[in-house]
Amino acid sequence: MSNGLVQILDGNTFVVSDRRGDIEASRADPTGLFSFDTRFLSRWLLTIDGERLNPLSVDDLQYFETRFFLVPGTGTVYVDAKLSLIRRRAVGAGFHEQLTIFNHHNKPVDVTVRIEAASDFADLFEVKDALQKTGTYSAQADDGKLVLAYRRETFMRSTEISTTASAIFDETGLTFDVQLEPHGEWHADIEVTARLDRTRGQDDSLASARARRRENLRRDLDRWVADAPRVECDWDPLRTAYRRSLVDLAALRFSPPITPGRSLPAAGLPWFMTMFGRDSIFTSLQALPFTPELAATTLRVLAMWQGTRVDDFRDEDPGRILHEMRYGEMTAFEERPHSPYYGCADATALFVVLLDEYERWTGDRQLVRDLELEARAALAWIDEYADLMGNGYVSYQRRNEDTGLENQCWKDSWDSISYRDGRLPGFPRATCELQGYAYDAKRRGARLAREIWDDSGFAEALERQATDLKRRFNRDFWVADGEYFALALDPDGTQVDSLTSNIGHLLWSGVVDDAKAPAVARHLVGPRLFSGWGVRTLATGEGRYNPIGYHVGTVWPFDNAFIAWGLRRYGFKDEAAQIAGGILDATACFDGRLPEAFGGYEREATKYPVQYPTACSPQAWSTGTPLLLLRTMLGLEPIGDHLIVDPALPPAIGELTLLDIPGRWGRFDAFGRSRPGSSGPHAMR
Amino acid sequence: MADATAVFFDELARQGRVPLLGDAVGTVRFELVSGSRVEIWRVGLDHGDVSVSQDDRSADCVVRGDKALFDGIACGKVNAMAALLRGALTFQGDPELLVRLQRVFPSPPARVAGSGGAASP
Repeated sequence: MSNGLVQILDGNTFVVSDRRGDIEASRADPTGLFSFDTRFLSRWLLTIDGERLNPLSVDDLQYFETRFFLVPGTGTVYVDAKLSLIRRRAVGAGFHEQLTIFNHHNKPVDVTVRIEAASDFADLFEVKDALQKTGTYSAQADDGKLVLAYRRETFMRSTEISTTASAIFDETGLTFDVQLEPHGEWHADIEVTARLDRTRGQDDSLASARARRRENLRRDLDRWVADAPRVECDWDPLRTAYRRSLVDLAALRFSPPITPGRSLPAAGLPWFMTMFGRDSIFTSLQALPFTPELAATTLRVLAMWQGTRVDDFRDEDPGRILHEMRYGEMTAFEERPHSPYYGCADATALFVVLLDEYERWTGDRQLVRDLELEARAALAWIDEYADLMGNGYVSYQRRNEDTGLENQCWKDSWDSISYRDGRLPGFPRATCELQGYAYDAKRRGARLAREIWDDSGFAEALERQATDLKRRFNRDFWVADGEYFALALDPDGTQVDSLTSNIGHLLWSGVVDDAKAPAVARHLVGPRLFSGWGVRTLATGEGRYNPIGYHVGTVWPFDNAFIAWGLRRYGFKDEAAQIAGGILDATACFDGRLPEAFGGYEREATKYPVQYPTACSPQAWSTGTPLLLLRTMLGLEPIGDHLIVDPALPPAIGELTLLDIPGRWGRFDAFGRSRPGSSGPHAMR
Repeated sequence: MADATAVFFDELARQGRVPLLGDAVGTVRFELVSGSRVEIWRVGLDHGDVSVSQDDRSADCVVRGDKALFDGIACGKVNAMAALLRGALTFQGDPELLVRLQRVFPSPPARVAGSGGAASP
């Protein structure tokens, strides 16, 4: 999403244009104005006297606002531009564009300003897969506006374009006849509104929920940043990354249209501006010490949509937490199962993990009581629906064979789960981290049952199950000749024996026997997994290793943040700091905004982290990565009503302070200083 | 064929207490249209206690659609959320009540039944 493309977003409405601010989308190209998974503008071209403009510069003012400085002409060298333009665009329920033209000449000038507009109303899935549409289009121009519309049966979407300036509308755009005085200016405000129309002409509650927001966005962003803890650090890239993360997290907040007023992190631009179970949970976990309200809304919204049926098309079971919700045409007509889709084998256990971690930080027992039914249903799902092979392990196999997901773990691409020799196992697949999450969910569920639900019998049962799971897991998944845990068990119970980053998640979950942990830690920072920037998804030397393979060799920042947390959990402070240091070094190469993934090349070989070609950016759990790394570097851990601080900093950072950390203790400061060869506990306020 | 909508609401009324509906409090009125006739069902939610009536008093959320469509929802053949997205079902008022209530809409007619959720052989 680089290549000179400019993107601005607010929740799940976003604009991707070129550096002139123009949109010229082809069918399979993710440029345009998008909202609720539908493209509302595929063409938006500005000309003056028939000529396209040239960009001088682009300023990202806010995440929802961009300013383009333009001059007429098609060449690249300007000796004496008589006119210049500022095109200022802000996203809301569509976007608002303010055009200003300056006449730098000492004579009056008459020009014709034209904007060409069109929409293909493509579903984002159609853009992704280059599919064709079946409904009918219309365009209606009158005195004050142009309405582009699309209809298929009762499904209607429309784009309304209007302006405050005098303009002539036709079916392909609008034209302004502009007279400019010597050294004069001309302004026009243009409003583009994305509408999710209804057949009965009733209030468009989906859009109205968003329309009110734009005025408040700037104030909201200021408050969001002001409420978050402050970072003081002698290493600039960390301060930059922290600020960037806070702003991007604000941008990625997304209010589901059917549950307005609550916002949770959407997954990432451009493909995943929607509610995702796994991504929302991981991001909320990362952000807990900074913005705990994200976790609260994530838990409430995911609970509300928890599965209650057995539905093969949606891979839904009672108790299962959703994978992904979509709002576009293909979902509406059940050509895709995302209404919502439940094919995800980890979010259900992670839901319980987040609920417990949230309460440990915030002390909000009420939410744990409110969600008791859902948390119990999630724990029941692990045993009653997820043990597909009847061997006591969580595994997955899609029931929707056409449009369901093959791999229902976070590494969800088709070739992510392989044996050492590169063969792919059959289904069901029991990947290792799913067992870790299940173990952790049972342990944490037991704490909630005992301390908040007042059900010690249930707590004891969960603890017994967890102990048994841990014992079996350390026996069945341990690859003795390599001293690590297998990626998965196949349908025969045979180990899928590749060395992968998944073993770091096992440390995070606490399922690893203490005696086996040192070998796991050695692998994570060893040459086959650690690239110098971070831990590769798949180790070098494995059959399918490819440094630019999506889940088979690239480095994922979010993955590394959880691995660092896992290393801290088992006391490997220096190893955790090494990973934090590598990933934070990489932030400096991306202006503080970590992409979804980057290449697994040796750091020494490329000197620069090579971005994965189609990676989403910003992406929620990459955005959350610097936050979780701050936690792991400072060794923050809530114990009872106290926050424990136990810092271990990477070499680049001399001093690090995090001020006003919110939690059940009120607000608290944490301070860390690097001390060569040692990383003992440090002072706190 | 039995009236699937009536069967669904009668069963809901018979249950009386439905923990799945959680702490939702409010009323949802369904206006189901067949030709010139509009059939009304009004569901009251109060912390898991459910009441069903057929009067047309005001409600916190009003849901409207074809009776035939709702018959499909009531027997699990039509997905309510997809119907909302394509505008076949519309609502006014508090959408959270509708999200709550959709939890009790039945499963689709099973291809594969039973626990374990295993794929078709």
